[in-house]
Amino acid sequence: MNLSAKNKWLLVALSAVAGFVNGFLGGGGGVIVVALLLAVVKLHQKYAQATALLVILPLTAVSAAVYIFKGNVDWMPTLWATLGVIAGGAAGALLLNKLKGNVAKIIFALVLIAGGIKMFF
Amino acid sequence: MQIFLLILFGFLAGIVGGMGMGGGTVLVPLLSFLDIPQKTIQAINLVSFLPMCCVALIFHAKNKLLVKQNILWLVLPALALAVVGALVADKASNDVLRYCFAAFLCAVGAWQLVVAVKFAITQKIQKNASKQNSTSAQTNKTKNQLQ
Repeated sequence: MNLSAKNKWLLVALSAVAGFVNGFLGGGGGVIVVALLLAVVKLHQKYAQATALLVILPLTAVSAAVYIFKGNVDWMPTLWATLGVIAGGAAGALLLNKLKGNVAKIIFALVLIAGGIKMFF
Repeated sequence: MQIFLLILFGFLAGIVGGMGMGGGTVLVPLLSFLDIPQKTIQAINLVSFLPMCCVALIFHAKNKLLVKQNILWLVLPALALAVVGALVADKASNDVLRYCFAAFLCAVGAWQLVVAVKFAITQKIQKNASKQNSTSAQTNKTKNQLQ
């Protein structure tokens, strides 16, 4: 699909916000990118979620490089968490192709709110 | 025990992340249960995402779910600001980062909830409408038969 000039600038501005959030908060930019791919590029949900990973990979790589360079990485917990994340990631990628309905999304939203409230205290 | 929890929390967040639903938004609050400073948690999140993302992308490419057209409009500006964001985070205190993340989570959660509920309502309305159509079609049919 060809994007209009207005939509291109919208993508540039909002993906810059996603990039900043991802670097500053160490994650979370993906949620914004998925929304952009859905609303502006007009991809379907599954395609938007998969393609968002392709967008987020390079910017997470540069953010991670800055964190490493500035000495903000503690390697032992990182290593253990990474093992879990890789196994979970493979399971999640397989599940996406089978995912139906809206229930997962509602549960996910509630988990986020609960996580946010927990972190305030 | 902490190692077990790190792997478990990583696994749970990885499932969400592999689906492209934002695993980081799950891993960061989970890790905040363990006694780890916010900046270290964010670094764990960024670094652990990289190999997971590569694995997930292989699956998505096989399932033909990747749409490469137009994505440079997103990647290039995001790349530049990601570096800026990471440099600002380096200067910020753990408390500031934690509160910013908490506010971000609540905002995203509320927004996603609204989107999901709206979607569910529209679907229900459509379902009811098609049900009504089929019942009225059936009544017409019976009427015709009676005549």
